[in-house]
Formats: sequence, structure tokens, C-alpha cells
Amino acid sequence: MNDNNILKGGAGTALLILSALIFLGSLVVALGNLGSQGHASFNTSSALPWGQPIATYLYFALASSGLGLLASLPLVFGFKQYYPVAKRCVFLAFIILISGMTVLALELGNVFRMLWAIPLNLQIQSAMFWMGVFYALDLLFLLWKFGKLDAGEWDSKTSKQVGIASFIGVLLASGNLALIFGMMSMRPFWFDGLLPIYFYFTGVTSGMAALVFFVYLAHGFNRDKMHPAMQSLMTGALPKMFAALIGGTLLFIAARAITGLYSNNPEINIVWTDYLFASGLYHLSLWVGLLLPFVLMLNGKLRNQVNVQLLVSVLVFLGLFAERFYFVVGGQVVPLFKGTWYPDLIAYTPSVTEWALTIMGWSLAFLLCVLGEKFLNLSAMPDAIAKQGKVHPAIA
Amino acid sequence: AAGAAGAAATGLTGLAPVSEARAQTVRGETKVTKNICAQCPARCGIDVYTTDGKVHGIYGDTGNPIANGKLCPKGHLGSYFLYDPDRFKGPMRRTNPNKGRHEDPGFVPISWDEAFDTIAARLNDLRAKGESHRFAHFYGRGWGASDAGLYGDFGKLYGTPNSAIGHASMCAEGSKKAKHATDGNNSYNAHDLRKTNYMLIMGASFLEAFRPYNNMMQMWGEMRSKSPRTQVTCVDVRMNPTMAAADRALYIKPATDGAFALALAHVILTEGLWDRDFVGDFFNLNQRFQAGQRIRPGSFNEKWVHGLTEWWNEEVKDRTPEWAETITGIPARHIRQTAIEFGSTRPAIAIFERGPTGHTNGTYNGMAIHALNALVGSMFTEGGLFYQMGTPYGALPANADDFMDDYAKNGAWKSQPRIDMARTELWPMTAHMMQEAGPNHLKGDPYKMDTAMFFYTNPLWTAPDPKVWEEALKDVFVIDTSPFPGETAMYADLVLPESTYLERLQDSPTYPFEGWPMSALRVPAVDPIYDTKHFGDMLIEIGKRINGPTGDYYRIIDNVENVLRHRASGFAANPGDNGVTDFESWKEKGVWYRKPYHWRFIRGDFYEWDGQRYGILMTEDDVKAKLLKTPSGKFEFKSGYLEQYAEYINKELGIPTERVGLVQWVEPKHSGGNRDLYFVTPKTPMHAEGRGANIPHAAAIHQPVAGGRGTVYLEVNPNTARQRGIRNGDRVRVTSDLGSIEAECRFVASHRPDTIVLPFEFGHWAQGRWAKDRGPGHSGEITANVSDPVSGLASYYTGKVTLEKA
Amino acid sequence: MAKWGMVIDLDKCTGCQACTTACAMENNTLPGESWQDVLFYHEGEYPSGQMKWLPRPCMQCEKPSCVYVCPTRATYKDESAGGIVFVDWNKCIGCKYCMIACPYGVRFYSDEKPLIEPDMRDIYPGQNKQLWSPPYQNPKEDWSRGIGIQPPGVVSKCTFCYHKVSQAPEGTVDFDEDNPAVKEYVPACVRTCAPKARYFGDLDVPESQVNQLIGDKHGVRLKDHTGNKPQVYYLGAGAAVPAFTPADKGDKS
Ligand SMILES: Nc1nc2c(c(=O)[nH]1)N[C@H]1C(S)=C(S)[C@@H](COP(=O)(O)OP(=O)(O)OC[C@H]3O[C@@H](n4cnc5c(=O)[nH]c(N)nc54)[C@H](O)[C@@H]3O)O[C@H]1N2
Ligand SMILES: Nc1nc2c(c(=O)[nH]1)N[C@H]1C(S)=C(S)[C@@H](COP(=O)(O)OP(=O)(O)OC[C@H]3O[C@@H](n4cnc5c(=O)[nH]c(N)nc54)[C@H](O)[C@@H]3O)O[C@H]1N2
Ligand code: SF4
Ligand code: SF4
Ligand code: SF4
Ligand code: SF4
Ligand code: SF4
Ligand SMILES: [Mo]
Repeated sequence: MNDNNILKGGAGTALLILSALIFLGSLVVALGNLGSQGHASFNTSSALPWGQPIATYLYFALASSGLGLLASLPLVFGFKQYYPVAKRCVFLAFIILISGMTVLALELGNVFRMLWAIPLNLQIQSAMFWMGVFYALDLLFLLWKFGKLDAGEWDSKTSKQVGIASFIGVLLASGNLALIFGMMSMRPFWFDGLLPIYFYFTGVTSGMAALVFFVYLAHGFNRDKMHPAMQSLMTGALPKMFAALIGGTLLFIAARAITGLYSNNPEINIVWTDYLFASGLYHLSLWVGLLLPFVLMLNGKLRNQVNVQLLVSVLVFLGLFAERFYFVVGGQVVPLFKGTWYPDLIAYTPSVTEWALTIMGWSLAFLLCVLGEKFLNLSAMPDAIAKQGKVHPAIA
Repeated sequence: AAGAAGAAATGLTGLAPVSEARAQTVRGETKVTKNICAQCPARCGIDVYTTDGKVHGIYGDTGNPIANGKLCPKGHLGSYFLYDPDRFKGPMRRTNPNKGRHEDPGFVPISWDEAFDTIAARLNDLRAKGESHRFAHFYGRGWGASDAGLYGDFGKLYGTPNSAIGHASMCAEGSKKAKHATDGNNSYNAHDLRKTNYMLIMGASFLEAFRPYNNMMQMWGEMRSKSPRTQVTCVDVRMNPTMAAADRALYIKPATDGAFALALAHVILTEGLWDRDFVGDFFNLNQRFQAGQRIRPGSFNEKWVHGLTEWWNEEVKDRTPEWAETITGIPARHIRQTAIEFGSTRPAIAIFERGPTGHTNGTYNGMAIHALNALVGSMFTEGGLFYQMGTPYGALPANADDFMDDYAKNGAWKSQPRIDMARTELWPMTAHMMQEAGPNHLKGDPYKMDTAMFFYTNPLWTAPDPKVWEEALKDVFVIDTSPFPGETAMYADLVLPESTYLERLQDSPTYPFEGWPMSALRVPAVDPIYDTKHFGDMLIEIGKRINGPTGDYYRIIDNVENVLRHRASGFAANPGDNGVTDFESWKEKGVWYRKPYHWRFIRGDFYEWDGQRYGILMTEDDVKAKLLKTPSGKFEFKSGYLEQYAEYINKELGIPTERVGLVQWVEPKHSGGNRDLYFVTPKTPMHAEGRGANIPHAAAIHQPVAGGRGTVYLEVNPNTARQRGIRNGDRVRVTSDLGSIEAECRFVASHRPDTIVLPFEFGHWAQGRWAKDRGPGHSGEITANVSDPVSGLASYYTGKVTLEKA
Repeated sequence: MAKWGMVIDLDKCTGCQACTTACAMENNTLPGESWQDVLFYHEGEYPSGQMKWLPRPCMQCEKPSCVYVCPTRATYKDESAGGIVFVDWNKCIGCKYCMIACPYGVRFYSDEKPLIEPDMRDIYPGQNKQLWSPPYQNPKEDWSRGIGIQPPGVVSKCTFCYHKVSQAPEGTVDFDEDNPAVKEYVPACVRTCAPKARYFGDLDVPESQVNQLIGDKHGVRLKDHTGNKPQVYYLGAGAAVPAFTPADKGDKS
């Protein structure tokens, strides 16, 4: 079946080479610096131990989970319009998680030790232990599910079961990832039992942004090249849902901001007043990265335009990356037990090495994506849908 | 210690084979040697832990009465001195004739013999030309008989008035002079802090520097937990740990401590709180001191004091708290309250150091404070203050007087003044004026030095206005003995690196402490790890090479160990309380001491120790000879000593000659007087005189009060900063009449708005890789070379400056 | 088994940082890696400003959040070692989660930018898998308890000087540095504290000196609301950490 995927052609090869170059370049920089200076090449410190690499990992992990959840719309819950993107979602979820984990691995002090130290010691009290378990499972299920889809098994019993397992795995993994932060009562900016919900929501939003972008990329930013089923999804249910997701994300952020600003606790309040809202970049990410896309997407006409969707996906993609960054760093900027050594909020800007890791993560995801588009049939959908050409419009 | 040098070079000897999972390992045998910390004058006894020839631990020596097993933060860092990667590794000669900050000296290694021969040739030559006075020895932290103790004989045998010029006038001569002028002891005080119930601390950095720092902190712990708890009033010009921990903190306008103390005296007298046993009383017991009213001469029966009536009539009667408030800025009610507490708590002591004395009126400020100790009868009492007894050392194997040739006895050098002009008509009252030596040489007045040898002092950095020294020493043949590449060393023509304190054998009698005599000993923990020598041995080796009988003398003296063995022979007749009777037991215990202090004032009389108790009642003559060594044999509120210099003081300070002796208020003269901010550069607990800046661990935690990690900040009251458009953390420029330095500022809201603070530590242009160019500009460069004419103490804390955004 | 505890009397502490340097040299930490830091706080202004300070070792919490979060059990509380919380350098993966979870900010990841340059790690390059190898190393080493010079990529913290404390004769209750029989076993920071503001001993023995002091002088634990239940107690005024206030930037007049 010719799905008009331009990445299968010369453009794909060009992108492949480009992303491979960027990936290799950033990897060389990152590994070179890590090799020569170790983690001293990070701008993190014992006062602020988690920096942009962790935020990058968090961003990827949640985007992956978001994509996993999107995939389960058709595969678990039977929202059939979403079939045209299901396979791509699963694939993207998989490779983005791999990319995130690569970044995380290079952030750790002793990567390979992890491979035996975590399983051998079974520290079941640690959320990070469970994060390892759940994301490993998640990865496994994604792979399995993708195998099933690739084999054309859309509706078999095992395929359904794997889908359900994967759905639960995603929920557990990202929910648990939220708890890594949300259970830290000594870090009040993060301490929040409902953080998993926030993570689910924003995760799906970022997953959606990635999905939209890559769908268009695969089709040369030309909707006409898409399969009609996909076209109707991209002009129907999907943009509406995207709009709703961005709106929900904004609502979550607003709720966190309002409680934070209202709180007298300096470890929350000051993070909002003196760190987040004091930063131009944060404002940019909030207003241009989230609010503007939301406004654009509210308008029924604009919502369906290719350019707008693309713009929104890129803005949201970047906006939520910033959101992750500010979330991770924001929980640590108020110095804990430092007295005059840190009289003010702890300053942190990522170093070259940390940026290299982030770029490496992005380019790896891109690279794997292009590879996938090129060699796997990511636009595949169940025959019934494909033949039908058009899905029933009224869903969700 | 044998073999240590070898092991020192080999790195990690004996580390267990590395496996991924590394288990418990211990390397080698650990041995403990006795030593004395050398980072400040406290002279804490230390236990040095050495394993496989590597020093890895330093703790306070439990058997040392100053350390009592404890240390201040610097003490632990001693291994850094030993292993400083920037240490000089052996004697060197300069090859670049040009000297300056940016000149590479081009040092090349030479042998010790070449070094000594070169020096001896210069000195013999000078002596032959009758110019031996042009050789000068400079020293800072001398330790005892085995180093600085050798200077006197050297000067007299060789023939120079400049052996040796000490750094006392750049240190704390003011407090010594204040005591000299009032009770006749030209010395710091010993204290019985364990029993003190009230402490008035004025410009002494009790919890940061005051000597002996480590022991002060131990006493602080005792005083603050004993019953009754010792009450503390602290008077300083800035927020500091002592102020923060005190029961009352009074922020005084710099240089006005005399006014505050006089007002205290005024209240103590008018409230009738003085100590009758020491001071005496009115003949008519109903009579009172009344503000503004004279008392009739002869109406007061002075006991162990002299001049009280005149003091009251001519000075104190008008020194009301209200008057003092206008001078000091401290509210009168606080002054009155402090006076009443101080006067009604016994024993109470008033201590002070470089704060009040680091000004042109320093000696008078100090005298006024010290007078309080007399008023409340704390001199020589339990819980009070006294003076330090000397160590009964044995004699050297030769007497220098027997080795004086004609030149030594009557040579031309005899009529030459010292290069620093101390003890001349310019500075008649002071023993040392090191800060003048550089400028004098530059002027060629009284003459030019030819050769100068420096031991443990670095005036190119520590002197006020040190840039003058940078000019001055360009044409002097400089010999530096520091193990470290300090600023003075960068001007050296010969570098004769001394062994560090952990590598050398050296005695050190205590600074004033608890009064009873004590001498600690440095025992090398390891053999010198580089080709270095003890300064005393250098001096002796040079001596051996001086022509004539001088060489003979030094051949008998022979070496430092020999000197110390002879000195220790004095212990045979005076066994130490810890069983030290000779050199060997001294080495083993690390300290000789013998309690108790021999004199005590008890209810109106002085007694001397008779071996069992204070059983011998002392006559007035006894007291004059041994305790109150003033012309009157009393504590003098009208100083006979100062009156001997009435003309000079009148000329320098404008005080009418007949008033010169009175303890009185003298207006300070601030350098840069038309500028609007006071500038203080105090010592912090991490500051190891001029030697600590190259210690990474010290730099890392240098200034916790303002957060100075790896640097120090200029501390400014936020209002002061705002008025100048300066934000917290801005780079600022501090300008005095001499020029400007830059620093980063930090707001400290509890400081006086008119006083800015830059802790003294960084701003080196040499002294090692960590020290060089670290931190703000060097405070000394904007500190004018102005001194208190009486004590000679450089007025480090008296400069006025302006502050602006850089 | 004993439960080791430390008591710090803030009425006597002078803020000198001898505990910091003693710890640094005993445990060969890098400059700035202060397992035992002294924290200063300012409040108020001239002429009635206050300055407070607070020495801060690891609290060896009874309920150590650092232990709960560690995914590898590299951080563990050893009840058989008096309840000391150790880091096993053979297991630590350097995820730094424990640093996030410790409410007291007492954990260090020394593989970071040097506080002081030139970097000690360049001047004394690591040998034998050590991160750095200075000449003045303490001969005691036990990586399974985070004692010695650490390898790269792991987290370090105060060990209550286990390498000393564990050598004390069985049944030692009061580690008084003035007692020659136990002096060598007293934690470095306690041993050197000049005003004797620090005490170390067995919290399980009701009549121990640490318990007496806690009882008589109303010992408190810092941030007790976190529930970590420190085994370090503070006495005296100022045993609390002021709420964080951002520095006065000086732009408002
Ligand atoms: N940590 C440490 N201790 C040391 C030394 C060291 O290098 N480091 N060096 C030793 C030596 S050589 C000396 S001389 C002593 C010096 O010991 P101190 O004299 O006690 O110490 P300083 O820091 O010189 O100054 C003492 C205080 O005077 C204050 N001050 C300045 N001007 C005035 C004033 O006009 N009035 C009042 N009331 N206070 C004022 C300063 O703020 C400071 O707090 O310390 C010795 N101890
Ligand atoms: N602005 C300002 N200036 C001050 C002060 C201040 O508070 N503020 N304080 C003043 C005071 S109180 C004093 S006492 C003076 C001190 O000033 P100096 O007398 O100059 O003493 P240090 O600065 O300690 O210099 C000691 C020199 O000895 C060297 N040295 C270190 N160890 C050894 C050793 O083992 N053997 C030998 N031979 N040399 C060694 C070091 O390299 C250093 O260069 O500074 C004064 N200057
Ligand atoms: S007070 Fe500190 S620096 Fe001074 S001698 Fe004692 S331990 Fe050394
Ligand atoms: S050593 Fe003692 S007095 Fe000094 S800061 Fe530490 S606890 Fe306080
Ligand atoms: S203070 Fe922090 S590091 Fe220490 S035991 Fe408690 S939680 Fe763990
Ligand atoms: S950094 Fe090491 S000790 Fe800390 S939580 Fe991670 S594995 Fe455990
Ligand atoms: S107990 Fe030992 S390791 Fe812990 S702070 Fe004190 S000296 Fe450091
Ligand atoms: Mo001094």
C-alpha cells in the first residue's frame, strides 16, 4: 500500500542523515565532556542535583506515555477514528522512551551498575525502583504491541490483552514517575498527591504534539497525501481533542500557580513569584507555548488548517519542554539548609554538556522516527478502516 | 620519621588491590607526634597523625593546656602546609635582576652551601666596609629560643641595629602600650576566664581571632555553661559572631571606644561601684563622686591606684553617658546599664585588642578600657587578668658577650639608628616600626639597606600601603625564608625555604595565656619532604661563616637541636607538671608547663605563691618590681610613663603636656578624613594571618557570615548601598586617598550604615596557585600608612573611604 | 545494640567551623563538600539585627527518607551500627534521588564543578578508582559504608565517623573526647569542638550524657515535621531554621 510517506524517499534519507549527524555530533560532545570532566561538566550541583537532563528524560517519558495513552484510544477503548495513528503512536511511544532513557543513562553516575544493582536489591520502597520496573514493562508491552500491529493483528484477543496491559503499564509508569516528585514532602513545590493526573494530562498533550508533528512530517506537511481516514481524523476528532488537552494543561498549570501563589510557604510561593514568573522564558513558554496554541485551536476554522496544527504542535512541544524544565528545577531552586552560602534562589542554567544530552535525545528520537517511517509501515490501519475511507464523525 | 621523604613521593602505598566492591582496608601503622600549630599566635599543641610517612590527621593535643585536645578550624588544615604543591623545593637564586609584580624572578636551584656562602660573603663585605648596619633582619611570627630568640646575639656579634625588626607595630602593639602606660607591663594580658562572671569585649574578636583563639572558644563554652553564667557585653563596629552571641551587642562608631570606656568609668564612680580594696575610698565615707563636680585633692585615699583624683577632676567628671552618646553613637541608657552591670558583677574584665587600638588615638582608647579593670579590682584577682611568666630555660653553651670583637663592641654601626627609626626621636616610644622600614629605605633616610632577610613576614602584602614596599625592595638584596611563594619571596634574590612546621624541631613559649609559664615543642612528624631547613639552622650556618669570633660562637651553638637541648636543661630544676624534666621528655610530651601563677590580689593585698598557697604578703616594692611596674608602683590613671614623653606626645597629638599622662578622650584622626565611610578589614576564623589564602579548604568556607565561598565579600548595610545605587551582589569600588580596590558586595543589614567590612584574606598577587588573584582587591592597598604615635601600631582600621558601583 | 546520637548545643557553639574542617580532613572530602556545614542566617537590621548559626551533619534519621527512595539500597540504615545511615559506594548508581529526598541537604555528589579552582582533582588525580588522591589520606577505607575517598559517580555523606566510633570498646555510652580512653573513637567534629558544643553517645541508654542533655535542656530535632526523626538533637536558642527569604536585591529604595 502506498501511504504517500515522503520519508520513504529521498527526503527521508536526507533527514536521516541530518538527524544522524546531529545525533552523533551531540553524542560526541556529551560523551567527550563526560569522559574528560565527568559530571563536573554539568551545571548541576549538590544544592541542585537534578537539571535539564532529568527534565529531558521526564519530558520524553511523559510524551511516550502520552502517546501510549493515545494509542489505547482505538486499541483499548475502541475509538475507531484513531486507528490511522495508532501504530505510529505505539512506535513513537517506544522510540521516545528509548531516547529518554538514553539521556537518563548518561545522567547517572554509574549507568551499568544500575543493571544489576536495582534488580538484585529489590528496594520496593523506592519509587525509582518502580519507575524502573514499570517503564521496563511499558517498553516491553510497547514493543509487543507494535509487533502485533506490524503483523496486522489489530483485533486479536492477545492483541487486545497486550493493549490493555500496555495501557495499564503506561498509567503505572507515568503515574509512578509523577510520584517520584509528588511524594517528596520535603520539596513542597512538587508535593502533590494528584501529580499523576497532572502528568497524565500534560503527557498526553505532549504526546499529541509529537504525533501531529510526525504525522505531517511523514506526509510532507501535505494533508492531501494522507489516507482519507487519517485526513478526517486530522480535521475532526484529533484537533478538537488537542485543543481540549491544551486547555486542560493550562487549567492544571493555573490551578498549581494559584495555589502556589496563595500559599504562604516560601518553598512554593517564592518559586512562583521569584523563579517562574520572574523568568521571561517561562512567560514565553506559558503564553506563546500554551495559551496561544489554545486560542488558535479554539477557533474551528484555524484548528483544521495544516499550518496552524503544525505551529501549535511545535509550540506545545517546546512549551511543554520548558514546563518540564521549570517543574524539575523549580522544585529545587529554594535552597534547602544552605544559610548564607546560598542567600538567594539557586541559579541554574544548563551547561553545554547538558544541552548536548538534550539535543542528543531529540535527534535520537528524530532519527529513530525517520528510520521507522522509512522501514516500517507506520500509517497502517485495520483493513476495515482503510477500506471504509471515512470514519463516523461523531465520536468523543 | 625516617624514610618518610621516600614514602611521600610514592603515593598510595599499601592500598588494597582494587576490586569493584572495595572492602574495609587500613593502610600501615599510624604514629602520633607532638607539634604546635603555626597558623596563628595561639600556639595550640597538636597531635600529628602519620601513616606510612604521610601526615593525614591533626588534632588538638589533650596534654597541651591551650589546646586541651581541641582546635580551631585552621588547625586541622595543617597538612596542606606540608603538602602545598606550590612550596619551594630547595634553595634558589634569582636570575632576573628586575623586580616587580609581573616579573618572573627566574629562580634557579642552588645548594645550601652556595646560599650560605653568598650571604656570608655579602655580610662579611659590609662589615669590612663598616656598613654592617645596612643588613637588616625582619621577622613576623617568631616562635622562640630556636629562631627569633637567636636574633639578639646575631645583631650584637655581627654589628647591626636591625637585628631584628619585628612586625609588632603592624600587629597589636596598641594594647600592649595601653597596659605599659597604665600598669607598667608592656604585654598582652593573661586571663582567668574560667572564673570571670562578666566580660566587656571591646574590639577584640573573641570568637574569631582574640588570642589564644582556640582556648578562647573553650573558655566561651565554660563561661556560657557555668553557674552563674558569664554575662557578655560586646562593643564592636560590625556584626560578628561575638556580637551575635553576646548578651548585649553595642555598635560603636569606630575609634571612639575611649569615650565609651570613660563614660563607664564615670558611672562606676558616680554610682559608687568601684572596688574599694584595689582603688581605695574617700576618707569621708559619705562623700560621693558627682557628675561635673571636682573632688578636693587629698580627699580620696588611693590604694593601688595613682592619679584617681586628678583623673576625675580633669577628665572623668564630665564624661557622662550623655556626652559619650554624642561621640560613640551608643545610647546613653545602654552605656549606663553596661556600666552598672560591669561595676556590680565581680569578677569582671574588660578586654580589647586591635579594634580600639588600630587608630591614631589607639593607646588612649586602650588605656581608658584597661582603667575599667582597675576600677573594678580585676588586676591579679581570681577571675581577673594578669601577665605571663617566662620559661626558666637553661643557658646556651656559649655566651655571646665572650665573642664580641672590637667592631662588635665599638664599630661604626653603634651610632646608626634602625632603618625603621624605632626608638629614635621619630618613634621614641616603640620597639618596632616595620611599616616604616620600606618607606625609609625608599627615601634613603636614615640610609639605604643593602641586604634584608625575611623570616615569617611578608610586608610586601601585609604592611599598610604595601605598594611602597614593592618600589622600595627593588634595590635591596632580599633573602626570603618562607616555604611558600609569597609576595616578598617574589622579590627575593635568594630563596632559603624553611621546613614547614610539621617538619621542624622548634620551641615556643606561650603568648600570654593563664599566666603560669609554659613552653611547647614542635617535633617533626616527618623528615623534611624537600630540601629545606629550619630557620634557626640557617641563621647559625650564616653565623658560622661570619669572619672573626662570631663564627666561633656559632660553631659552638652548632644547631637548633643543640640550642634546644641546652634550653631544656632548665627544666631539670623546674620539672613540669606533666613530668617534663629534659629534652627527651619534652619531645615526648610536646610541652613543659608549671602551674600555678605566682601572684594574686586578695581582698586588698597582693600575695605571692609560697609553694602551697598564696601565702607571702607582698610589700609595695615587691608589687612594683613584679606586678605593677609603673613609676608609682600603682595602677596609674595618670601615666608616669607617658609623662616621660610629654613633649613628643604634645607634638604628635596636640595634648597639653600637663595632661599627657591622663587616661583621656583623644579625638581620632581618620586617614581619608573627608570621605564618608569607615573601612574595617578584620580577621575571620579561617584567616591564618597572611598564610592561609593558598589553602583550598579554607577558601571554600572562608566567610560564612556573608556566604563567601572561595572569596570574601564586601559587607555593606543595604541602606548605605541603596543610597549609592548599589545592588546586592554588585561589583563595587572602594576608594581611599591611596587609590581604589574592587570587590563584590553583599548586604548585611545588621552592620553600621557608616561602616563597611572587608574580611582580611584575599587579594594576593603571589602566594600560590589558589591564592594568586583570588577574591577582591587587597585591602592593604587602600590602607594608609598612618600609625598611633604612642604605640607605633599601624592604624589599619582608621581609614575612611568612598563606595561606588564599579 | 546502641543507637548513636549527637547533641549540638547552640548556646555554646561559636560558629567557628572547626567541625567542618575536622570532618573534611578526617574524611578527605573535597573543598565545599562539607559533610558537616555550619549555616549562618541573618535577621533584622542595625542596631538590633541578629545572626544565627547552625552546624549541620547528617541527622542519621530514624526514618531516613534518603533510604526509602534509593532504588538500589546503596543508601541503607544499619541498625547494627547504631542506626547510622551509610552509602555503599559499590552499589550507588548516582541517580541523586537521595539528595532530592533528604530534607537536610547533607548529601553530596562530588562529581560536580569544583568550588575552588584550580581543581583539587586535577592536582591530585585519582588513582586506584578514587575520584582524587591527595597525599594526606586517612588510611581507613570501607566503600561499603562510604568511608574513604569516593570513586566517581556516587553520593557521599557524613558517616558519624563510623571508622572511629566502631572501634570503641563494647558498651561505650558516652564518647567524651576529654576521656583519654575513648578520645580516638569520638567523631572528628565532636572531638575538636572547642566550646564543647557537641556530644556523642548512645540514645538507647537513658542515662547517657546525650539523653541527659536532651532531657535537661529540652533538645529538639530540626524540621521534625518531616517525620524523619533525626538522631541529632539541638539545644539552646536558635535551634530552628528561619524560613527562606530571597536576598534583598537592593533595587527597591
Ligand atoms: N583567626 C585568626 N586569629 C588570629 C589571627 C589570625 O590571623 N586569624 N592572628 C592573630 C593576630 S596576629 C592578632 S594581632 C590577633 C588580633 O586579634 P583581634 O584584635 O581580636 O582581631 P581583629 O580582627 O584585628 O579586630 C578585632 C575587632 O575590632 C573591630 N573593630 C575595628 N575597629 C574598631 C573600633 O574602632 N572599635 C571597636 N570596638 N572595634 C573595632 C573589628 O570589627 C574586629 O571585630 O588575632 C590573632 N588571632
Ligand atoms: N588590612 C589588614 N592588614 C593587616 C592585618 C589586618 O587585620 N588587616 N593584620 C595585621 C596583623 S595583626 C599582623 S600580625 C600582620 C602579619 O603580617 P606578616 O608579619 O607579614 O605575617 P604573615 O602575613 O603571616 O606572613 C607570613 C609570611 O610567612 C610565610 N610563612 C608561612 N609559613 C612559614 C614558615 O613556616 N616559615 C617561614 N620562614 N615563613 C613562613 C608566608 O609565606 C607569609 O608570606 O598583618 C597585618 N596586616
Ligand atoms: S587557634 Fe587555630 S590557628 Fe591558632 S594555633 Fe590554635 S589551632 Fe592553630
Ligand atoms: S566546632 Fe563546635 S563551636 Fe565550632 S562551629 Fe562546630 S559545633 Fe560550633
Ligand atoms: S539527614 Fe538526610 S541523608 Fe541523613 S539520614 Fe536523614 S534523610 Fe538521610
Ligand atoms: S544516588 Fe546512589 S545512594 Fe542516592 S539514591 Fe541513587 S543509588 Fe541510592
Ligand atoms: S560525625 Fe564524622 S563524618 Fe559526620 S560530620 Fe562529624 S566528623 Fe563528619
Ligand atoms: Mo597580629
